[in-house]
Amino acid sequence: MNSPLLDRFVGEARDLVQGAAAALLALERQPGDEASINAVFRSVHTLKGSVGLFDFPAFTKLVHAGEDLLSAVRAGQVTLTPERVDRLLEAFDQVGRWIDEIDAGGALLDGAVGISRDLTMALRAMLPAQADPAGARAANPTADTAAATLTALDWLGGLPEADRLAALAAASNGREILAVEYVPATDCFFSGEDPLTLFRPLSSLCALVIDSTAAWPQSDALDPYQCILRFRIVTAAPRSEIESLFRYVIEQIKIAVITPNQLRAAVTAGSPGAGALPIASPVAAPSAMVIRIIEGQRTLLATARTATDRMDRLASVARIVSNLLTVADREADLTSWSDAMALARRDETGHPVVAWFDRWLESQATTASQTPAETPPSQGGPRPRIETADPEGRPDNRVSANRILKVDQAKVDSLMNLIGELVVSKNSLPFLAKRADEVHGSREMSREIKDVYAVIDRLAQEMQGAIMAIRMLPVSEVFERFPRLVRDVSRKLGKHIALVIEGEDTAADKNIIEVLGDPLLHIIRNAIDHGIEKPEDRAATGKAPEATVRVKAFQDGDQVVIDVSDDGRGIDPEKIKASALAKGIIDADRAARLSDQEAVNLVFYPGFSTAETVSDLSGRGVGMDVVVTTIERAGGTVAVTSRRGQGTTVRLSLPLSMAVTRVMTVEAGGGMLFGIPMDHIAETVRVRRDAVQRIKTSEVFVLRDSVVPLVRLDNLLGIDAPIWFGNGDDEEAVLVVHVGGNLIGLVVDHFREGMDIILKPLNGILAGVRGYIGTALLGDGRVLLVLNLKELF
Amino acid sequence: MSRVEPFARNPNDGSKRVLVVDDGTTMRLFYRSVLEAAGFVVEEAANGVEGYEKALAQPFDLMIIDINMPKMDGYSMLRAIRADAAVRATPAVTISTEAGDKDVIKAFEAGANFYMVKPVATRELTEIACLITGARPQ
Repeated sequence: MNSPLLDRFVGEARDLVQGAAAALLALERQPGDEASINAVFRSVHTLKGSVGLFDFPAFTKLVHAGEDLLSAVRAGQVTLTPERVDRLLEAFDQVGRWIDEIDAGGALLDGAVGISRDLTMALRAMLPAQADPAGARAANPTADTAAATLTALDWLGGLPEADRLAALAAASNGREILAVEYVPATDCFFSGEDPLTLFRPLSSLCALVIDSTAAWPQSDALDPYQCILRFRIVTAAPRSEIESLFRYVIEQIKIAVITPNQLRAAVTAGSPGAGALPIASPVAAPSAMVIRIIEGQRTLLATARTATDRMDRLASVARIVSNLLTVADREADLTSWSDAMALARRDETGHPVVAWFDRWLESQATTASQTPAETPPSQGGPRPRIETADPEGRPDNRVSANRILKVDQAKVDSLMNLIGELVVSKNSLPFLAKRADEVHGSREMSREIKDVYAVIDRLAQEMQGAIMAIRMLPVSEVFERFPRLVRDVSRKLGKHIALVIEGEDTAADKNIIEVLGDPLLHIIRNAIDHGIEKPEDRAATGKAPEATVRVKAFQDGDQVVIDVSDDGRGIDPEKIKASALAKGIIDADRAARLSDQEAVNLVFYPGFSTAETVSDLSGRGVGMDVVVTTIERAGGTVAVTSRRGQGTTVRLSLPLSMAVTRVMTVEAGGGMLFGIPMDHIAETVRVRRDAVQRIKTSEVFVLRDSVVPLVRLDNLLGIDAPIWFGNGDDEEAVLVVHVGGNLIGLVVDHFREGMDIILKPLNGILAGVRGYIGTALLGDGRVLLVLNLKELF
Repeated sequence: MSRVEPFARNPNDGSKRVLVVDDGTTMRLFYRSVLEAAGFVVEEAANGVEGYEKALAQPFDLMIIDINMPKMDGYSMLRAIRADAAVRATPAVTISTEAGDKDVIKAFEAGANFYMVKPVATRELTEIACLITGARPQ
């Protein structure tokens, strides 16, 4: 289990990374768009702030490097080239993976440090030398490829005997011995550097001395985020290796060639090493924070632009100082403070207060330098004690407007199931009302039950609507992935493509949205890979070099429709026919008779691929047939239209919701009830018996101009129907259905009503039964079997 | 001389109110958990506009304001606070990932009483909040 803070971080970080990537892509399309650069920068910046709360140094470094690059882009120091976008996206991807790792196990997997270093280096390599924040603040700017010369070498004498001998041994092999002094920038931790690991890869390290550039401050003034270390290295590695290793911080190192004599001389000079840490004196100084805050108040007044501004600031300063003096047990100073404040208010000037600050700060400085015994014990005391747990018993004050709840999907799903049951159960009330009247002879009771039913019915319907609305997601959920996909694929293939997305607000049930993702990715990949021509080919046919892929979603009745169209070369029916012939999908005879549209539809056949060479992008053995299967399983349809030379459109139509299925009920087998999904049904007709004709053993009838085969549902389901004498008027009830693009007449006993049902799939030992999509419970308690016509034919 | 128990008086009894203004939800949860554990009542705002409105609506003993925020950044919010006679006496501390002198001076110029640098240690945050509001940790 992760802590709530970490959980919050995981959720927020995911959103931030996603937002950053989306804004970055928007920025790449519209270079210089201020809103986008600010959005991507702020996302990364906020992420950096949040991750700093946790101990994920690899993560923090990478985010920091990303921020530096973005900062340089924002400041106009570098332009956002596709390479820079690549590096940033790689970093975002990695951050996304780390977030998953943190989510799963609360920690980063092994190797994160290495990954982080590589990606950080890659990002930093994208920075111009002067935009490197460490470089900008470096004390001695030098040429950016060569290190400065090191002059002070007295520290060599402090090296341990063994190290010096190792260096001498290397020197006696004829290698040049170098002394390197590396002083990282004090804020290097914030720019993602890790000084020690930086030179770890050095091929030779004879000696290493780490000390500080200045005396170590006392422990309570020590800022662990500031690096005051100095690294001194003796190495036999070539200069080029060192300069390459330190190339991003080249201004922070100095190199000197040392002779064996210098090493030997140092032995005799024998000055002690510079590295001993001064031991912090045990003196309890006056609380450093109190002094820092008082200094802050002085700065606040000093930085006021106008006199009125200064007076405006005095109010908060007065409040803080009196609080501070009280809580720091310096009440003795309160009197002089109030005097200064009174004076300041009377004369409307900040001077008396600033003067008081100066006096007070000076007196603290002298107190601090006095002997420990004279320091009042309370001065070390005001450091607050930290309690980290038990927020109980304190007023809980969490009021927030418009809060968005993030709810586990499973909870919404279970609500959906419950409302389904409720809808079905309430349907038993009309039967109850009927019984009350007919069996128990109470007409009044019957009426009352009907009244109650009307109320429950309305509530149940509203509730169902509300729950369905919770599950409705905008298609943008899936569309968000496309800009990245199109960018990556088109860059890889060297094609110029503009992606146009329309109607991303169109909403559909979450199940539908979930189904859409992979098929759409596949279709778009196909369009870019096979549909769009190379820029030079486009130019040859007089098209604009930049192709367009348009993804458009809209609602059409109770369907959500998504069109993916491109303005590429279109599908060549002849090529398709040839390919299908070669693969044995159709024979020559059939090929000759196929219309162009029928030929195009062949792409839906399993194992069909038109590309002559299988690319690593779309031709991975996953064809359009998989797309069709996935979409049809969700109750949708796929259609392809194509014009040679002008482009291809793939249209996915899906029901808005999978939760409620509209079926028509029919009677067959002498009183058995079956449901048939409404989207299969073309029409219902009554056919006179004498209009039914026979072709060999099959029955057919003529519907307007076409011959439609007739299938008796009883035969289809293998039901031994009781002897049936027809419905009295010598007519067959025929349900005309679409199955796989063909019309079929299904002969049933009777048509019954259409209804909305909550479909439950067959499960358990029935899961393998073919021919049925599932079952639904009817209001009177009967079970309705819903037919899967595709499996039956 | 008898030693005075340093935390004997002014216990943080839940009467001190802190407004945290930060667009990062993780940061807000961090402030909330640390400050509530130290006995503060915590209110949150996600940007400068919301922060300014909350500051006007009810009194606070301390505001902790992030610099880089959407809609209205920390500097603008501070300037708005200091220009408003009703709320200008409220102490305000900015927090930012930028630790350079320029950034610190900019915060003071905008009217901050103090500044913190992210990532801020739990201990430092509590200490600053206690000292500025005159509260003692429980």
